[in-house]
Amino acid sequence: MNRKYLAMLVMFGSLLISAAQAQIKHIEMRVEGMT
Amino acid sequence: MKQHLGRQSGVQNVEVSLRDGKVDVTPKEDGQINPAQLLKATYDSGVTAAEMDMTACGKIVKDSSGSLALQVAPNRSFAFAPNELSKGLESLAGTQTIVTVLGQLYKKPAGKKKADLAAPLKLLILEVQKKE
Repeated sequence: MNRKYLAMLVMFGSLLISAAQAQIKHIEMRVEGMT
Repeated sequence: MKQHLGRQSGVQNVEVSLRDGKVDVTPKEDGQINPAQLLKATYDSGVTAAEMDMTACGKIVKDSSGSLALQVAPNRSFAFAPNELSKGLESLAGTQTIVTVLGQLYKKPAGKKKADLAAPLKLLILEVQKKE
């Protein structure tokens, strides 16, 4: 029972970590007509 | 323009270089930033965006039309403009691998004065920086 619980914790933990890693890190624009 | 962009959701910081015509946008970690909205905000502030590049990490997925895309948030993904680098990522579709890429989201069409902001942004991969 404890092993099942532990396995589920690891699985959900890794899902959360991968969701947190996915992100836009930086955006760079080149623009024209800026004064 | 700096204030206009800084007010957009998901934006943490905006740095403008007048000399180079470059705008650096640092997103918040809340994942709310919307590049299409940034382009529109840039245009609304009276400036023309010539190019937009993005560094992002996420999973490779296939969207509803079967095109490869980078999923950067549960509700946000960017379809790839096909090139050799995007073909190299095809085998990772549907896996848990997190890929970091540098890509071009927008480039003003040559000769066209007004930007087509209604078209969905496609990510042209320029560099695959990391796979983990």
